[in-house]
Amino acid sequence: MSNTVISVKNLKKYYRVHQKDPGLIGSINSFLNRKYKDVKAVDGISFQIEEGELIGFIGPNGAGKTTTLKVLSGLLYPNGGETQVLGLEPFKRQKQFQINISLIMGQKNQLWWDLPPMDSFILNKEIYEIGKQEFKDTIEKLSRMLEVGDILATPVRKLSLGQRMKCELIAALLHSPKVLFLDEPTIGLDVVAQQNMRDFLKEYNRQFQATIILTSHYMGDVEKLCKRVVIINEGKIIYDGSLEKIINKYAPYKMIKVDFKENIDLKKIEEFGRAERYSGNHVEFRVAKDEISKKTAKLLSEFEVADITIEDPAIEEIIRQIFEQ
Amino acid sequence: MSKYWEIFRITWQQFLIYRVNFVIWRLRTIMQLLLVYFIWWSVFKSQVQVFGYTASSILTYILAASLIRTIVLSSRASDLIDSINTGSIVNFLIKPLGFIRYFLTRDAADKLFNIGFFIVEISLLILLLKPPVIIQTDIAILIPFFLSIAGGLIIYFCINFIIGLTAFWVESSWGVLFLMSVFLESLGGGLFPLDILPKNLFSALMLTPFPYLIYFPAKLYLGGMNYSEMLNGFVVIAIWILVLILLMRIIRDAGFRHFSAVGN
Repeated sequence: MSNTVISVKNLKKYYRVHQKDPGLIGSINSFLNRKYKDVKAVDGISFQIEEGELIGFIGPNGAGKTTTLKVLSGLLYPNGGETQVLGLEPFKRQKQFQINISLIMGQKNQLWWDLPPMDSFILNKEIYEIGKQEFKDTIEKLSRMLEVGDILATPVRKLSLGQRMKCELIAALLHSPKVLFLDEPTIGLDVVAQQNMRDFLKEYNRQFQATIILTSHYMGDVEKLCKRVVIINEGKIIYDGSLEKIINKYAPYKMIKVDFKENIDLKKIEEFGRAERYSGNHVEFRVAKDEISKKTAKLLSEFEVADITIEDPAIEEIIRQIFEQ
Repeated sequence: MSKYWEIFRITWQQFLIYRVNFVIWRLRTIMQLLLVYFIWWSVFKSQVQVFGYTASSILTYILAASLIRTIVLSSRASDLIDSINTGSIVNFLIKPLGFIRYFLTRDAADKLFNIGFFIVEISLLILLLKPPVIIQTDIAILIPFFLSIAGGLIIYFCINFIIGLTAFWVESSWGVLFLMSVFLESLGGGLFPLDILPKNLFSALMLTPFPYLIYFPAKLYLGGMNYSEMLNGFVVIAIWILVLILLMRIIRDAGFRHFSAVGN
């Protein structure tokens, strides 16, 4: 029996943004007679999230992902609809709500810039009223998982972005939140740091049965972490379901990548599928899923193949297709 | 309660990092004090009494005013504006932390830090310059004196906080804050005792919150204020405190609703 942790019905959030024509004249006009435009950042979305789910919100810039997270974490006052997190209304910002959630934004930091991370942790310990022993254990466990034990006494401004993000994570997780909102948690990180972050989130989700929503531009994050994705565009949900299903629906094919032992004439291999990339002895083509084994076998028997790989299409490609429709 | 104590501590730790900044700030405060002090000093070189004040009473006023200023005026509304403009305000909106109490604590930490230094500085000045200051020992004066400082402190905090909150709607609350600080210095009585102004202007001014920031407590310290004047003053302080606190809460809640947490 699963528990609904987050329930959103017909959520709306509009912003008024002032408009200005370019140039000085535009500025003067705007100063004298300011024009506003209503932006529908989130326009009537509904979804439910069960305990322990790890969900990815994807969509282009300005789609409404971050706004949704901000409403869910109680920062923004919604213009309409019903929002409940852990049975509470976020905007009321009750203590019971606040001690059970956390929000991490890749572009904002809560750590005190001039002081070592440990000082910020101690402040959070007091704010969230965490017991001494629990605090010690959590710090120890998290810093071991993230491998940051040796930098906790260095002022934050001297840390690298990756180290800082790890410490941000610790600061945000000290009070063992049941619900975690992550906005672009891997932004700006290098490949290794991204990978560490993903591994950590996956482990955290598994160990603590924490419910996690994350938004990301990096499809890799979503692909590695989330079974379920919510795709948002222009304030509306255009897909909510398993990642696998959407791949099957929009990409009922796989990519076969072949390195031949010698250069090959494109015409000879046309029958295998549409070649998407071709350079002498290297060819990549799309093959329908149900024909994969048949065509691979044929390829291997008819040509001298040095190497062959079969891959799912890049998820970026699929998302692009969806948005183009 | 310990969470606010920790905020207090972390604020001090932060001060201790920016040493040069702090020294410059203290220098500014001392310069300001010396400037006003010597202007009045030179006025009294040729006269015994000006506007009904003697040299020793005006110099006492100036020194008392500088002490009061240190307690009342230092404020961190600029932090509030900053945090709204940059969006870092979300860091404490998301936590179980009283919004106003957080800033109040930061303010108190700021004040205590500065008061400590001020006491050392002013003691040195008194030792070196040996001004003819009046040392008030009458407990019946000192109690209302400290009470009025507390009142002024609350009024100033509220006014600053309200200005800070306007950052939810406009992008340039800095200008308003600056204008206000000039207002408070002059109308508050930081430069001269306000009762040297024309009578009508002075009476009108006494209905605004400004004179209660510096002038009223400094005047109390000098003594000689009668009971009805004193009572009037405290009634006006009480009314302003009520009005401002109410206003501050209304604006805070409206600000939260309007808050758009822009820029990611």
